[in-house]
Amino acid sequence: MTDHLQKEVKRETGEGTDLWRVILAPTIWAVHFLVCYVAAAIYCEKAGRMADLLPVRLIVGTATFIALAGLAAVFISLWKVRGLSSVNDDYNYAGNTPEERHRFLSHVALMLCVLSGVAILYAAFPALVLEVCR
Amino acid sequence: MKNEMAHRHGPDQDDPWIRAAQEARLSKAWETPGGWRYWSSVNNSEVGIWYIVTAFGFMLFAGVLGLLIRTQLAVPDNEFLSAETYNQVFTLHGTAMMFLFAVPIFEAVAILILPALLGTRDLPFPRLSAFGYWCFLIGGVFVCGSIFFNAAPSGGWFMYPPLTTKQGGIGADIWLLGLSFIEVASIAAAVELIVGVLKCRPPGMHINLTPLYGWYVLIVGGMILFAFPPLIAGDFLFEMERAFDWPFFDPERGGDPLLWQHLFWIFGHPEVYIIFLPSIALLAMIVPTFAGRPIAGYSWIVLSALGTGFLSFGLWVHHMFATGLPSISLGFFSAASEAVAIPTGIQIFVFIATLMLGKVVRSVPMLFALGALAIFVAGGLTGVMVAVAPFDFQAHDSYFIVAHLHYTLFGGMLFPLVAGIYYYYPLMTGYMMSRRLGVWAFWLMFAGFNICFLPMHLTGMLGMPRRVFTYPGDLGWNTLNLVSTIGAFVFAAGFLVFVFDALRPKSHAEKASRNPWKAGTVEWALELPPGAWGARTIPHIESRYPAWDDHSFMRRYDEGRFYLPDAEEGRREALVTSVLDAQPVQCMRVAGPTWITLATALCLAGVFIFATYHWWTATFISGLLTLCSIVYWLWTGTGEHPEKDEKAIGMGMTAPLYISGPRATGWWAMFITMTGDLTAFLGLIFGYFFFWTVHDQFPPPDIDGPGWTWPLAAGLLLCGSWVLTYGARLWNARGDMLLFRMALLAAVLLALAGIGALVMGPLAHRMDPTAHAYPAIVWALVLWTGAHAAAGVIMQLYCLAASFAGRLTPKYDTDIWNVALYWHFMAFTAFATTLVIGGFPLVS
Amino acid sequence: MHDTKPEITISFGPCLPIAAMGLLLSGCVGRQSALAPAGHDAEQISNLFWVMTAGVSIIWALVLGTALAATLGLFKNPTRLTPNILIVGGGVVFPTVILGILLIFGLRLLPNWQSEPDRLQIHVHGEQWWWRVAYRAPDQIEPVISANEIHLPAGQAVEFVLTSADVIHSFWIPSIGGKLDMIPGRTTRLLLEATRPGVYRGVCAEYCGTSHAKMAFAVVVHEPKEFNAWLEDRTSDPNIGTDDPGRKIFLSSGCAACHRIRGLTEIGSVGPDLSHIGSRRTIGAGIAENTPKNLARWITDPAQMKPAVQMPAYRALPPEDIAAIARFLSNLN
Repeated sequence: MTDHLQKEVKRETGEGTDLWRVILAPTIWAVHFLVCYVAAAIYCEKAGRMADLLPVRLIVGTATFIALAGLAAVFISLWKVRGLSSVNDDYNYAGNTPEERHRFLSHVALMLCVLSGVAILYAAFPALVLEVCR
Repeated sequence: MKNEMAHRHGPDQDDPWIRAAQEARLSKAWETPGGWRYWSSVNNSEVGIWYIVTAFGFMLFAGVLGLLIRTQLAVPDNEFLSAETYNQVFTLHGTAMMFLFAVPIFEAVAILILPALLGTRDLPFPRLSAFGYWCFLIGGVFVCGSIFFNAAPSGGWFMYPPLTTKQGGIGADIWLLGLSFIEVASIAAAVELIVGVLKCRPPGMHINLTPLYGWYVLIVGGMILFAFPPLIAGDFLFEMERAFDWPFFDPERGGDPLLWQHLFWIFGHPEVYIIFLPSIALLAMIVPTFAGRPIAGYSWIVLSALGTGFLSFGLWVHHMFATGLPSISLGFFSAASEAVAIPTGIQIFVFIATLMLGKVVRSVPMLFALGALAIFVAGGLTGVMVAVAPFDFQAHDSYFIVAHLHYTLFGGMLFPLVAGIYYYYPLMTGYMMSRRLGVWAFWLMFAGFNICFLPMHLTGMLGMPRRVFTYPGDLGWNTLNLVSTIGAFVFAAGFLVFVFDALRPKSHAEKASRNPWKAGTVEWALELPPGAWGARTIPHIESRYPAWDDHSFMRRYDEGRFYLPDAEEGRREALVTSVLDAQPVQCMRVAGPTWITLATALCLAGVFIFATYHWWTATFISGLLTLCSIVYWLWTGTGEHPEKDEKAIGMGMTAPLYISGPRATGWWAMFITMTGDLTAFLGLIFGYFFFWTVHDQFPPPDIDGPGWTWPLAAGLLLCGSWVLTYGARLWNARGDMLLFRMALLAAVLLALAGIGALVMGPLAHRMDPTAHAYPAIVWALVLWTGAHAAAGVIMQLYCLAASFAGRLTPKYDTDIWNVALYWHFMAFTAFATTLVIGGFPLVS
Repeated sequence: MHDTKPEITISFGPCLPIAAMGLLLSGCVGRQSALAPAGHDAEQISNLFWVMTAGVSIIWALVLGTALAATLGLFKNPTRLTPNILIVGGGVVFPTVILGILLIFGLRLLPNWQSEPDRLQIHVHGEQWWWRVAYRAPDQIEPVISANEIHLPAGQAVEFVLTSADVIHSFWIPSIGGKLDMIPGRTTRLLLEATRPGVYRGVCAEYCGTSHAKMAFAVVVHEPKEFNAWLEDRTSDPNIGTDDPGRKIFLSSGCAACHRIRGLTEIGSVGPDLSHIGSRRTIGAGIAENTPKNLARWITDPAQMKPAVQMPAYRALPPEDIAAIARFLSNLN
């Protein structure tokens, strides 16, 4: 029992993907979103509604760059995991092995990277368009 | 694992006599208590049914309120309801539908069917489910009953201050306290369901084989943990303002009404998805069955559910588009509101793709599923429209929004739910619902719904605001409103047909054959009607649709050839498995019938209900009783020492009967509960910094703060207590009992001193919480942290007592594991509180 | 806002689609309809609404059509690629592009303007359940006080300064533009430009208590010249008939404790200013036509017309006195 438990622990935490890695990309989105919103909210509250948005736009730009770079890093590492095994090429991931589970989770995580990337880009649009706090 | 199986032998499952004896023992262990003791049941199949029936009861009540609203608005200048009554009616309609139906029905359905979907016999904490149910029932009756005494809340289901802080009467208090009480039930259910999905899947069910319903439950459970607590924090601040005049939302004393809107909608928007996702999850089970093939894009569904879960937390300000926030803030939330449509759309296209690839069997559940699709897609698309902030400036608070939200809720929740009830009805009762009545119910509901709500889009665009008890007759709204009213009654007729079909005596009803829909998932392996034990055996899962993929599955299942086919010791048992690959790690003894859940719920109800009337002595006594019953519950119901270390669980495997730490369900429950608790705390911290943002100077220069010395002392003392508690766990594990007990004792003393120091900060500086929002928020943080530290002290004392009683030993150390975990969170709370109240004024 | 905000050039002739809808024709003549725009913002939003409604209807029909066809088995032998094309194309690529465009389009319509000293400012202060109104033209020293009716010049951007006395209200003139909340302790600002002279109706859009439904106001849009004349007229005292019997009863019954009439009594400030009430279109904050009969009804028992209103009933006064007050008020202009 303990023997297979140890193996199991190794499988669950070893190379590959786990649930935490899956939610990394949307977490990056969440942090980016909060940074942008909080920066803008505080700036506009403190500087007044007539203030020029330039500082906020710079912050949003930087945050977006960092977030996208982070996403890219996550994406690359996941891509490697996904490529590790190629039991079959369908997109069902319905096999009952831990390797298949890794492939499944990395596939979900990869697609979440794409979705988070879109959401991050969307969140950067307002900073492109707007010029004053009002 | 196959190797392991080969060289061990369990009982001979080929022998029908042995199997019959096993079944008899299982039956006895899982027997539902008879007579009045029936109400002491805790098994998911009883509690689940109560939960569903109660939630539908509240739904019918709220539905009648909805009809009253429509009757009042049928013609202009109507005097059917007075303004005040109307306001109570619409407030209670929204409140009951949201808090007493939409969210609880998710918990109800999940509690009922999740064990079956996971091939197991019960959820890990049956008593917690029962406790949650009783809280829900009592709280719901209390909130709904108020309207019969003309004391119902009338401030809208969103309770915006200052309208609601200024209102006299107890309506708002009933809302705040009654619903806080019900939120306890929601969080209890979230804990139960998350642990259920993560730790109680059948062996072999890797996370990529989990039924999609399980994924949705997991995600929604997680969302509840982050969405409900901010509202609890908000409720706490709100009730402090109403009961003790602490001015959090009063602009004249430094408060701000918008703080409530933030806290409410940080809860309120994810809540929409908390309601929507579990119902879509039912469709994810139904669609493959009737398409006769696996879902086309399992990982897409998981992705989109996860994506929706996250993005839904970036939408809350779209309920505040018209509050005059800076355009850039609106822009961010507009962006997230658009983005969330992408994962939502993916789910729908996966369903369509599945239908396309399969050969669809026509049935009532499919009819409702398609109806849901038609309605929900419309609601989702109008959602995209209102996410465009400038358009929302017109649509907001108009009947356009009423139409939009009902489209999303009916299409995203009610129709899928009814589909799910038709689908799972045979599984729960052993009878089929009538196809003929089902078709009637569908068309009446579908037509009625659209007749009622489609015109409202236009009514709103023609300028009719929401929440009006009447309207003038010369604005072009009369026909539209009359049509809506007619539609509402048509819908109600259809819904009654459905209710009648579900409740009618079953003497003429068609008995369900086994697996009547020819589904592939494991829950349909159950005999119909199911025995009290639920699953005959806990199956070993190797695919997502075992009934389709493995032709020997049903036979082996019936012959008890998988796990736990027996109850040798006459105990209720379930398997705990590892999170990702579902390897068995424990054979868990599950609790049986008890009255303690009801008793605890009654005591806790006393706390909330007496507080509503400001009967503080009675509140205090109820609190004390609640504490006693919880301690009794834990002392008698948990941490049992099993009679042996391991037992054979079938398929040639053995599993330990006792485990502690991160592998055990209890540890996960504590972890999850405290995550929710931490979120509530962060809600309070958010309040502090929100005030800093909106004030030119915060803390205000003319008001004394708590200084830095007392907070520093408090922080150090409480963190010391944490270190000692953690040390105690290690010393206990090493068997050093003296050191263990000394450390715990010292931890108790440090914590008590810490609480004292914490309170001394604002006390010594004479901070008056009624004078200004600044002292009020400082006191709120102190109160929160102090109360948590006090709970921590009780836990430490509990461990100490358990150690002396011989219950807590180096081998059986669950209690100290969980208490140490609590103190990890406690230490963070203490650290953050003291840093904010003591440190922030130094730097600002 | 028009300095930075781009014009939407799609012009739909917003009434055409409505006309097609037959019975909904009333929308075009509605005084409170967002689809019968008489303001710059309302026009843009109305156009946006029609464009989005058209798009949304098409998408809905396509999705549901596909779902229905799939259910009925109309797709013969779909290949294994079909679902992936459907999910990736319909679920990911198409919405990402469409939503991105829509988002940018919407962002460009957000308020994005700065204060200008030469704008007409109208301060509107919401109270349960009526509106205090004060006009301040750029060159004006003393604001013109009024209540429950708003006059606007056509073709000029007006800055509304919105505040609230008690609870949250929301200021909404659907024909002219979007709404904005009035929040105690905060000041919100809204820039609106009426384009078409006429009489419209505004309401409170945020639930604000018992008589939320009874909190409205008339909006009168004038040609700029007319408007200036109107404002000029309002800077002077109303014609108060000195020998009007109603005047004496008004003063002796204590009405002046709450209501101000310019040039007659300046003490009261709790209730609406009545200086030029005779010229207003409605009474009771937009809930009844301004006729002596309605005024008398209102004075006799205001709560019957507006539940929970703060003004006490004057049932104790003889009906002829009430009629006299009503006549007196009707003549104030």
